[in-house]
Amino acid sequence: MKNYYSLLNSDWNSAIDRLLTEYLIFAPLKNDNSIDYELINSENISEITYNVPKPITPLKTFFLPVKENLTNDSKPISKRIILGSPNCDIQGLKILDEIYLDKDYIDTAYKEKRDNTILIATSCFETQEHCHCMIYGIQPYPKEIADISLSYLNKKIHLEVLSEKGEKFISVIKEHTTVSNSPEIDIKDLELKQSKIENQLIADNSGLPDYKKTGTIVNKAKDEIWEKYSSNCVSCGACATICPTCTCFLLIDKPNFEKVRQLDACQYPGFERVAGGEDALHELSKRFKNRYFCKYVWKPQKFKSLACTGCGRCIEACIGKINKNELFRELAN
Amino acid sequence: MSNEVNIYKPIRAKLLEVITESPTIKTFIMEPEQDFSFKTGEFIELTVDGIGEAPFTPSSSPLETKQIEVTVMKTGYVTEYLHNMKAGETLGIRGPFGRGYPIEKFYDKEVLILGGGCGFAPIRSLLYSLVAISDRLRKVTLCYGSKTPDECIYKPYVDQLRNTPKFEVLRTVDEPNETWSETVGVATVLLDKIKVDIKNSVAVVCGPPIMMKFGTYKLLEMGYPEHNIYLSMEKNMSCGFGKCGHCMMGKYFVCKEGPVFTYDEIKDQPDIWS
Repeated sequence: MKNYYSLLNSDWNSAIDRLLTEYLIFAPLKNDNSIDYELINSENISEITYNVPKPITPLKTFFLPVKENLTNDSKPISKRIILGSPNCDIQGLKILDEIYLDKDYIDTAYKEKRDNTILIATSCFETQEHCHCMIYGIQPYPKEIADISLSYLNKKIHLEVLSEKGEKFISVIKEHTTVSNSPEIDIKDLELKQSKIENQLIADNSGLPDYKKTGTIVNKAKDEIWEKYSSNCVSCGACATICPTCTCFLLIDKPNFEKVRQLDACQYPGFERVAGGEDALHELSKRFKNRYFCKYVWKPQKFKSLACTGCGRCIEACIGKINKNELFRELAN
Repeated sequence: MSNEVNIYKPIRAKLLEVITESPTIKTFIMEPEQDFSFKTGEFIELTVDGIGEAPFTPSSSPLETKQIEVTVMKTGYVTEYLHNMKAGETLGIRGPFGRGYPIEKFYDKEVLILGGGCGFAPIRSLLYSLVAISDRLRKVTLCYGSKTPDECIYKPYVDQLRNTPKFEVLRTVDEPNETWSETVGVATVLLDKIKVDIKNSVAVVCGPPIMMKFGTYKLLEMGYPEHNIYLSMEKNMSCGFGKCGHCMMGKYFVCKEGPVFTYDEIKDQPDIWS
């Protein structure tokens, strides 16, 4: 098991503290009822929460900020470590990579952020109400895309190396503190915990159709379904904004031929309107339907990666209490 | 930033001349700071500095790399600013983007082109390309419709084409004036007036959505196979390379996989005519 390393939590924290001089480090902290990424400093290192499901903000916003100047070359890119991302978010990066690192048109702003970020993802040891990653074939623990998978278990931090970048990170940690190979018994415990969560996610989501079936279901759904489920929609776009795989954006022009990217959502009126006035998504129910077709029908025809990772954020964020899993359950039967 | 090309950064282009084609349509002749080449039917993103960016298929010849022309109808925010610009000012260009007309597939065929309004712009670029390879084509028929005689654009070029062997031009207007001697009616009525050997022919349609729709239906009715009808689609192409999502037409990013599609490629996608 050479890929697993462990160290004491206190040693890990002091190693992270030392890395603060070189990296911007972000990790989930608990605030009252929510968990979200915060910038880490020497004071809050000990408050980092590990092995919890998704922070409020999707990981994508580290790579596709809400607003960003794409033509201003002068800013140096900071080296970053993002700690504690769950696998639903990590898997969400796959389709972002397909779109933004498309070899025909590499998005340098995105690429530089990807290249300069070490991803230390985490296994989920608990679930949240709307978590359903397993239904779409995503495990609640990272095995790829991230550089390291971190688990806090038996009073130790365990680091599973997933990439070359992760391997290098371990050697850096080793310069600062003592790192040993994880004992077999801890790895067994970890695997046990992981499979317990897997089973729980399957049990919690029984009757929910998998990603192979969702496309057919969406394709067959009658317009009444879209009208019914969109009747509470206020076009706030929260579902798309908070989605780890929604990546549409608006280009805004600034003087001196500068371009600013601002994240956009197909749920906003006018998203597809052209200068001549035609607007295929003028009706609210059509915009609502568009998002389902995009995620479950069109993107799967186009990309290898999933366009929904089952994180459940869109359900939590919806002020109209629209639950896409209810829609799929209704249509699956 | 790295040495890789920044795909969002426009190159500057000096506006050399503005030609008024009709009360609402102008052609802008530009000289990019560096050589800029495109294939016919591909499009560019044109930036009015600090105002906005909009997609246009150049109306000039793809064989010309020093200058580039776009013909623009005043319809929205960016085009309104564009129409007020004067020679000497600077514009921005990104591209070229997308998939244009596969003219090598037109070899040994008759090419029927149905165009309307400002849709003549991409078609003119296509016609320049077709004139250059006319020895490999059987004939080219342009059926062009516009609202009024005043709004018929490229009048000198039409005269020139009418004197070009193998090229034929038919025009129609919805509302004629006293001097109009050509056809009256919507663009599709011209299709009743022409003789084509459909088996050895391809059709190209470019114009306002309503004309694209009824033009395509008419061509299908005439017997054109779906895969021989080439449509230049108009959507809200913003980034130009399949990332921003604004021009998604079902599974296609019109900007990257289009804007030129054959009808059979897109007939099952939603809202192709709007």
